[in-house]
Amino acid sequence: MQALEYFLIPWLDLKLLFLVAAGTFAGVYVGAIPGLSVTMAVSILIGFTFTWDVYPALCLMVGIFMGGVYGGSRTAILLNIPGAPSAIATAMDGYPLAQKGQAGEAIGIATVMSFVGGLIGIIVLAIAAPTVSEFALVFQPRDYMLLAVLGILLVGSLSGESLVKGIFAGAMGLLIGTVGLDPLTAEERFTFGLTGLWGGISFIAVMIGMFGVSEALMQLHHVDKTAVKQKISRIVPNWASIRRYLPLSLQTSSIGVLIGALPGTGGDIAALMAYDHAKRVTRNPEVPFGQGAKEGLVAPETANNAAVGGAFIPMLTLGIPGDAVTAIMIGALYIHGLNPGPMLMIEQPQMFWFITGALVLANIFMLIFGLTGIRIFTKIVEMPRTVLIPLILLLSIVGAYAVNNSISDVYWMLGFGVLGYFMKSYGYQLGPVILGVILSRLLDENWRRAIISEQGSIAGLFKGMLTSPLSLVLLATVVLIFVSQTPLWRCVRGKLGLESRP
Amino acid sequence: MKKTLVKFAAMAALGAVMGTAAFAQDYPAKEIQGIIQWGAGGSTDTVMRTVTPHAEKVLGGKVVMKNMTGGVGAIATKFVYAQNPDGYALLMGAENPLLYKVMGLGDIDYSEFTPINILARGVPILVANNDAPFDTFDEMVEYIQAHPNEVKFGSTGPGGLPSVVTSMIASKIELPVTQVPYDGDGPALTALQGGAVDVMPAVLGASIEAIRGGRIKAITLIDNKPTEVLPDLPALGETHPEYADYFPWGPFFGVFVKNGTPEDVVAKLTEAYAEGAKSEDFVKLMADRGYIIESLSGQEAQDFLTKWQSLTTWLLHDAGQTKASPEEFGIPKP
Repeated sequence: MQALEYFLIPWLDLKLLFLVAAGTFAGVYVGAIPGLSVTMAVSILIGFTFTWDVYPALCLMVGIFMGGVYGGSRTAILLNIPGAPSAIATAMDGYPLAQKGQAGEAIGIATVMSFVGGLIGIIVLAIAAPTVSEFALVFQPRDYMLLAVLGILLVGSLSGESLVKGIFAGAMGLLIGTVGLDPLTAEERFTFGLTGLWGGISFIAVMIGMFGVSEALMQLHHVDKTAVKQKISRIVPNWASIRRYLPLSLQTSSIGVLIGALPGTGGDIAALMAYDHAKRVTRNPEVPFGQGAKEGLVAPETANNAAVGGAFIPMLTLGIPGDAVTAIMIGALYIHGLNPGPMLMIEQPQMFWFITGALVLANIFMLIFGLTGIRIFTKIVEMPRTVLIPLILLLSIVGAYAVNNSISDVYWMLGFGVLGYFMKSYGYQLGPVILGVILSRLLDENWRRAIISEQGSIAGLFKGMLTSPLSLVLLATVVLIFVSQTPLWRCVRGKLGLESRP
Repeated sequence: MKKTLVKFAAMAALGAVMGTAAFAQDYPAKEIQGIIQWGAGGSTDTVMRTVTPHAEKVLGGKVVMKNMTGGVGAIATKFVYAQNPDGYALLMGAENPLLYKVMGLGDIDYSEFTPINILARGVPILVANNDAPFDTFDEMVEYIQAHPNEVKFGSTGPGGLPSVVTSMIASKIELPVTQVPYDGDGPALTALQGGAVDVMPAVLGASIEAIRGGRIKAITLIDNKPTEVLPDLPALGETHPEYADYFPWGPFFGVFVKNGTPEDVVAKLTEAYAEGAKSEDFVKLMADRGYIIESLSGQEAQDFLTKWQSLTTWLLHDAGQTKASPEEFGIPKP
């Protein structure tokens, strides 16, 4: 009963209620602008809310977090520029929908599904946080490595027509990710003696360039074409279609919560894995994936918002951050005189329920702010291209600069934009490049940790994989997915007399 | 022509001197930038954001803090080094720059800066996974020697606190362990809880909550006397006096300005941060997180830095973890 009392604190205090709302509203727009990230917004807020009490400060941060993760889908759908890394998968089917004149409907689905995903994430946080965090701790370096390999296999579903080109693009992404000081030994890699490259190539700059600038350059080809008229008859998806996607959204939300709860992986990887999952389990999509399948929108949007609740699980139960944003929030708790750790739940149970309450509230505000104003937003796509293209370029430049306040990031962004344009022109998909950049570090670090832990013995590594149940399941999944993408699989299926699906 | 040039130069020099003088009197006349070497929410960030508002009151000006991460703090260090030495750019950092030279991370370290205040020092502690088959330092050493290379020590890469502590221990005894590197002590301590590493030399402040919660166990404190936070935990310097000379040692947090900053500006900043370090907020934060307040300035701070650099670089060098010998940079042997 006391839990409910704590849970309702942000609901009953007008000031806190307002702060959650303001945070969520700001989050939606911060998230929608590429380059302005939730992580950045929350770190600015730390300084800003320093003298405040802890409750108002947390309300604002929770709001920004929830709103920001959702906001990334806006620009992904409307302009094919993901506002945040977690919206990359959203662009793949969201943008084709906008091109067909269904931007309003796409945003509507993304919003409602983000709400569903967010809610599932919070429910898991509220009822199973200790169990999930114990499970997250079981993950060893080799398991993170297998998870990264599983992620790399997504190249298969992101490479479009040519798998070979997809693999090439993915490998390029992995390579881009290795530039900079080696995170384990601080050794320079591909820096050519330039200290400016120590920090590596900003992943956000690559993402903005590859999606934003290359898209603008592509559109220059048809400047004279008139924009697609948007149908905005139906924005809020009807109950029947929500029910139809409910089984899928439950599955993808579970992926989101778990990946979000793992320290070291966050919403971006969750969304991509969920997209791949949707592609695998959806037998007959109304429209093929990549051309505007609604399932391709449902999966990443539920997963990335479910990952928000997931990220709070290890933070609130053990004081371990689930992602970059919760890492900063742990710092904020310290500054406000609390000691986040395993004792927090016992000594200060009100914090747990307070944050859960604020999250639910932020989720509701996200739904409200998400569903209003869609009409105005869809007008963006209807703008003449001569206005839209400079706007995209401007947004890309501002976004790339904002990441580190560094002009060299803008140059990187422009360079990758031009490269992305040529890659697109020659049939290389850009999704695998971004996938490679995201996973590069996870794969690199954990493979090395795993092999160092086994004192350099490959046999030891495999023995570890085969004796741990978790690693075994992950390994089996990797093998299964890999084999299912090769001709061998079809051959086996044929022999067994199973009908093969296209 | 030549004469005019000389005259011009003389006037410019005079102007500069007068400018500085006028400057220092009403310092701070504008916002001061505080460049934090590490990310938002990290320990350096927390320390600086707690102490600075109190220093601001004494200064009568505003310090705008900004996190500039990357290159183990080298990016921020270089940035402040590139500014004018007028006291309007403060470097808020940790111990790392003192190792740059020997680790091959550049030539700019704290010798180019004047310490305003060495605020606090962390106390290292050896913690282990709850399932590890040892509870004391002696049992641990015995087990490690009986099972060479099987025990995994968490690390944060060469030059990080874990690698220094491991080198300290290994300088007196045989210590065949496998060091597994992580991005920072946070992820490594997480791995310790999950059993991916067995032992972790960490800073007390980062591990205290997990110890209190019974998630990990403490083996020994790496200092000369026990801490109030964990009064029952033996200190290595007491149980094994052969290590006593190394201590007190630990990561630290300090505020710096570039060399050449006018003396009265340095004095004013020193006074402000010394007051800030006395504030209730700061004292509470440090006590909660198990840090020891040093609040050193002037020559004391300089001596602290010199001793720290000499001890640490030579330890790392003897452990074969450096890229260049401390001797090359004139760092004396301890």
